Amino acid sequence: MRYLPTAPSEDRALLDAIGVERAEDLLAGIPAQLRLGRELDLPGQQSEQEVLQQMTALAGMNTPFGARFLGAGAYDHFVPAAVEQMISRQEWFTAYTPYQPEISQGTLQHIFEYQTLMCDLTGLEVGNASLYDGGTACVEAALMAVRLQKKRKTILISAGLHPHYQEVLCTAITPHEDLHLVLVQLKDGVTDLDDLAAKLDGDVAAVLVGYPNFLGAVEDLKAVADAAHAAGALAVSVTQEALAFGWLEAPGKLGADLACGEAMSFGNKLNYGGPFLGFITVRDSQKREMPGRVVGQTRDLDGQTGYVLTLTAREQHIRRDKATSNICSNQGLVALRANIFLQLAGPEGLRGLAGQNAAKAQYLQGRLLELPDFSSPFQAPFFNEFVTRFRGDVAELQAQCAKAGILAGLDLTPYAPELDHCILWCATELNTRAQIEQLVEVLARVPSLAGEA
Amino acid sequence: MTTRTREPLIFERSVPGKTGMDLPRLDVPPARDTRPAHLRRGGFDALPSVSEVDVIRHFTRLSKWNYGVDDGLYPLGSCTMKHNPRINEKVAALPGFADSHPLTPAAHVQGNLALLYTLQEWLKEITGLAAVTLQPSAGAAGELTGVMLIRAYHVSRGARRRVILLPDSAHGTNPATAAMAGYDVVVVASQADGTVSFADVTDASGKVQKGLDTLLAELGEDVAGLMITNPNTLGIFEYRIQDICRALHAVGGLVYMDGANMNALVGVARPGDFGVDVMHLNLHKTFSTPHGGGGPGSGPVACTAALEPFLPRPVVARDTRQEGEGQVARHSYRLDWDRPQSMGKVHAHFGNFGIVVRAMAYCLSHGGDGLKAATLRAIVNANYLRKELAGVYHLEYQTPTLHEVVLDDSLLAPYDVHTLDVAKGLIDRGFHPPTIYFPAIVHGALMIEPTESEGKAELDEFIAAMKEIAQEAASNPEALHQAPVLVGMRRLDETTAARKPILRWTAALG
Repeated sequence: MRYLPTAPSEDRALLDAIGVERAEDLLAGIPAQLRLGRELDLPGQQSEQEVLQQMTALAGMNTPFGARFLGAGAYDHFVPAAVEQMISRQEWFTAYTPYQPEISQGTLQHIFEYQTLMCDLTGLEVGNASLYDGGTACVEAALMAVRLQKKRKTILISAGLHPHYQEVLCTAITPHEDLHLVLVQLKDGVTDLDDLAAKLDGDVAAVLVGYPNFLGAVEDLKAVADAAHAAGALAVSVTQEALAFGWLEAPGKLGADLACGEAMSFGNKLNYGGPFLGFITVRDSQKREMPGRVVGQTRDLDGQTGYVLTLTAREQHIRRDKATSNICSNQGLVALRANIFLQLAGPEGLRGLAGQNAAKAQYLQGRLLELPDFSSPFQAPFFNEFVTRFRGDVAELQAQCAKAGILAGLDLTPYAPELDHCILWCATELNTRAQIEQLVEVLARVPSLAGEA
Repeated sequence: MTTRTREPLIFERSVPGKTGMDLPRLDVPPARDTRPAHLRRGGFDALPSVSEVDVIRHFTRLSKWNYGVDDGLYPLGSCTMKHNPRINEKVAALPGFADSHPLTPAAHVQGNLALLYTLQEWLKEITGLAAVTLQPSAGAAGELTGVMLIRAYHVSRGARRRVILLPDSAHGTNPATAAMAGYDVVVVASQADGTVSFADVTDASGKVQKGLDTLLAELGEDVAGLMITNPNTLGIFEYRIQDICRALHAVGGLVYMDGANMNALVGVARPGDFGVDVMHLNLHKTFSTPHGGGGPGSGPVACTAALEPFLPRPVVARDTRQEGEGQVARHSYRLDWDRPQSMGKVHAHFGNFGIVVRAMAYCLSHGGDGLKAATLRAIVNANYLRKELAGVYHLEYQTPTLHEVVLDDSLLAPYDVHTLDVAKGLIDRGFHPPTIYFPAIVHGALMIEPTESEGKAELDEFIAAMKEIAQEAASNPEALHQAPVLVGMRRLDETTAARKPILRWTAALG
């Protein structure tokens, strides 16, 4: 076995030193009746070449799409070669959590820079080393808001929050029988401020709102935050497409007390949904309730600037059942991708890239609305995603696109009755004008249901 | 090689006008500004203006301040720092996997679904349990999923149970997880051999800690379950695990096994055969996926048939039909969202799929026989270190151990040399230190896990370094108090870091 670096003679020497005849003798601590009395019923070991063949065959069973117009929480963006090359260095990808700071300054300084960048993008003051994904980031933000608010036990969630995030949040809240999740309705694709006002009573700890929301619409975060604050609640901004921070004002500057969400867009592949990058940033006064790892700057014995994991009194290995969260790892390497990506982009690159996304999405929307069977159900401004209603069979539309090598937008029909025949489209810098024209050509041929019903 | 000892924060290198990213020519009209004025992005305070050259050099220099698995032995107990095979990285980057969107209709991601299904089947055989979910993102997320399965099971039977039991040797995530799942934590005593005690235990200060029998008698139907790590954090197999499971089941409770140390059991023994109801696995430990400086990990959960209906959704399902004259079995895969008893979701999509791909490659490479060989190799390596170092360092528990061994600093105490000094002394000798001060039941613990990835020469060099440190403790303790001195960074002031936290760069910081 190529990964086991011990020759038979060396194995013998080790066993002799220990004083046993065979390795199996070291299993004496496991009662005989609890040992597996047979070999595992699994195929035998294989060469690297054979493994590569099998895995390549599996990957080949997926349809390779030449163009993708699907976002909805997972975005197809260009990944600079420098990102892939850098994270392939063993010093980054094989290292463990930086528990020994003297030999982990690389990881620690990277996280400090990453925290700084996430604070800059969101307009808040303290970030952590990352969370698993956008869904679990919502959970951590909601639970943190409840801790900060002490006696308040209701969490309002805008119906525009990503439905999967809603489900992850609901799952995590279920065991906490004293907490309540209440949905705020949408109106014209954005949070209904009247419904919000009606539900903002003295028990509401926080309001979670998508920015932009699941339907791609840009919510008026300031109006939501103002309403929340007037009722003594915290405003939590949830961003599923972090590239929007190059187009939209920072949540913290619009009144959000916490910002969280998904930052996979910075230097990541789609990876069938993971690993992704959950983020959370908060105000300085809230930092001791932050979940997960946090890196701080300090000095060594010689007065040199260095970095350490800090505020650990919040964490599970110290506080145990009183910890702010059970999270132990983070998405370290994915955060490194984001850090490298953001440094490459810089302020002009990020603004420019975001502007290109907005331009492509606007162009795509314009072209779709020229087709007779497409209409726009909502008028709110959008970033790189928007909804159209299609007067036809959405499944047929998706199938026609797939035949042409195009991954179409998301069929929203299963998500809400009022979204029947609605499709969520996404365009990014990767979608060329030629791809968009090809899509329009395909869509023009999908049978219309006009005149029926 | 470079003699540079400091790389400034990237923000200090920023010069307006530079960029590391040239954008493609825009082939559609520029965006109209549809934003209300107050939602237009304002300025950035930190985002740096640097070139690609600056960025590459920055991260290359920073990387040299890290110790990785390829640098040498990385004996972090419980963390299982084994070799990260490169083929795993290569297959995870195959465009068929890496470019697949999580909301793609199932018909177009049959490869992904087949892979998820296949790894689940492997993990079922390895654990001896009936069902597996790959959705949890990490070990702690797996724990939470597992305990919430226990909760969903009890709730479905109309039972309100309030307590999760766990031994005092448990990893900190266990109590934190139980609390997140809405449970009160009650600690079970360990007995003299380091395993869970059925009887009450009187500690050195005369305080009585309750054993499992007492707690189950007192709490009875209030007990939802017990969380147990096996082998435990001392590397000792909980040899009465079957009795523990029976005792829990007798009061209607369930047993959760923390699988952090499953690399000691793969191919040798199966938790499902012990009576365990639910457990997690760490793909980033047992199945070699890289730790990435802290993540991403992956924490699949395996459970009994009784718990299967409550698993997170969607579940990968396989349909089989017979085709053609030869009646060849054809499989197709789908995502089953229609799971009325499901606990819900623990990740927005399917978990850390890219990590699952790597673990699948690890499994295919090893096969059943190779997996078992790796387990035995890890156990031999750990026992060799134990044999050579016990006596040089104090070994509190004489019970046989499997994949790791916990020593402590008590023999060095006369010289005022402690575990932290040993760890820092190892850094100066070119090794990453073991896990230190855990488990807490061993004072000054040095928890050493070499894994199967080390050959005899590397083990011998580590043993020599550990012996040299023990000698230096007696001859020149001050040298160890000063360590490390050879890596460019001395010991850091963690107290000030926590008291006056500086958690991000600002222009004022300079």
